[in-house]
Amino acid sequence: MLKISKIVFHIAVLYVIFLFGNLVQQTFNLFVPGSVIGMIVFLIFLLTGIIKVSWIEEGTKLFVNHLTLFFIPATVGVMNYMEIFSATVLWVVGIVLISTALVMAIAGMVSQWLIRKKEFQHE
Amino acid sequence: MNSILIGLLSIVGTLAVYSTIWKLHKKIMLPITLPIFLGSILIVSVLLVFDISYDTYMVGGEWINQLLGPAVVALAYPLYQQRHLLKELIIPIVCGTLLGAVAGVSSGILLSGWIGVDDFIIYSLVPKSVTTPVSMAIADSMGGVMSLAAIFVIIAGIGGVIMSPYVFKVFKIDHVIGRGVGMGSASHAIGTAHAMEHDQLGGSVSTVAMVLSAVIVSIIAPALVSLMM
Repeated sequence: MLKISKIVFHIAVLYVIFLFGNLVQQTFNLFVPGSVIGMIVFLIFLLTGIIKVSWIEEGTKLFVNHLTLFFIPATVGVMNYMEIFSATVLWVVGIVLISTALVMAIAGMVSQWLIRKKEFQHE
Repeated sequence: MNSILIGLLSIVGTLAVYSTIWKLHKKIMLPITLPIFLGSILIVSVLLVFDISYDTYMVGGEWINQLLGPAVVALAYPLYQQRHLLKELIIPIVCGTLLGAVAGVSSGILLSGWIGVDDFIIYSLVPKSVTTPVSMAIADSMGGVMSLAAIFVIIAGIGGVIMSPYVFKVFKIDHVIGRGVGMGSASHAIGTAHAMEHDQLGGSVSTVAMVLSAVIVSIIAPALVSLMM
């Protein structure tokens, strides 16, 4: 029971930071989403020690471990667009997939090459 | 009363589907058993079979959806834990993310120009590799359709996670940093969530790549579109 109330408190802390991020985003009309601003704010709080890790650990770990759960309701929303999946749209989906694989390959190869180069210099 | 019941049912149902598939996925670890993929398909099927609308499902689903923001905030925690390592790795992460973003935007423009789709579809798919709210904003600012942009983001996310074992194999990306940068650059938060399941360092690298990518794409997408179209 104590553990559950602890986790609820941790989640409440995350939620307040998220709301703050939204507020910053709306006030300054930024293109970066409120959740990402909240993440940066949370990171700054942790780095400066304003928030101690022990205050938020269990709830935060739980969220990070089960991140995909929170994407499910939004993903289910694709069902509203079922009818647009015509032949041309399938081509477009193909383009999206090819381009995604390309991003992954290039981003991965470039960073890996640089990291290997760096590791080599260290040795 | 009725709406409370419906709401509870969709929350409990979503949690039950997620936890069942999560356990299954831990055992077989196939891309198609990913909770977000299989779970969403399962829920969509149930809704379609019983003729339940998405709006009805979202009476409860919205509660889970509301936690998406705090869940993204929570990603600062692994970043904090890996802070010393990440400081060392920042140059490879930035370079990889930047070139990946250029490749993503320009291949989107070139391939769809080649097939000959309408301009508004091109504007909607160009920012597909970044997290939904940012990609919707980018698409909107260029003249794309926001809901289409959201669909392309989901396809890039889930598709990228499913393709990742093959992409990593074909392009010989076996370093945890390379994989993390690839996942975060191509498949945003969905890819990051997946990377985090495997390894905390890879997941943190993916988080950094995802955030950087959102910033980079929102700057280069309008520029490349006006240059190439």
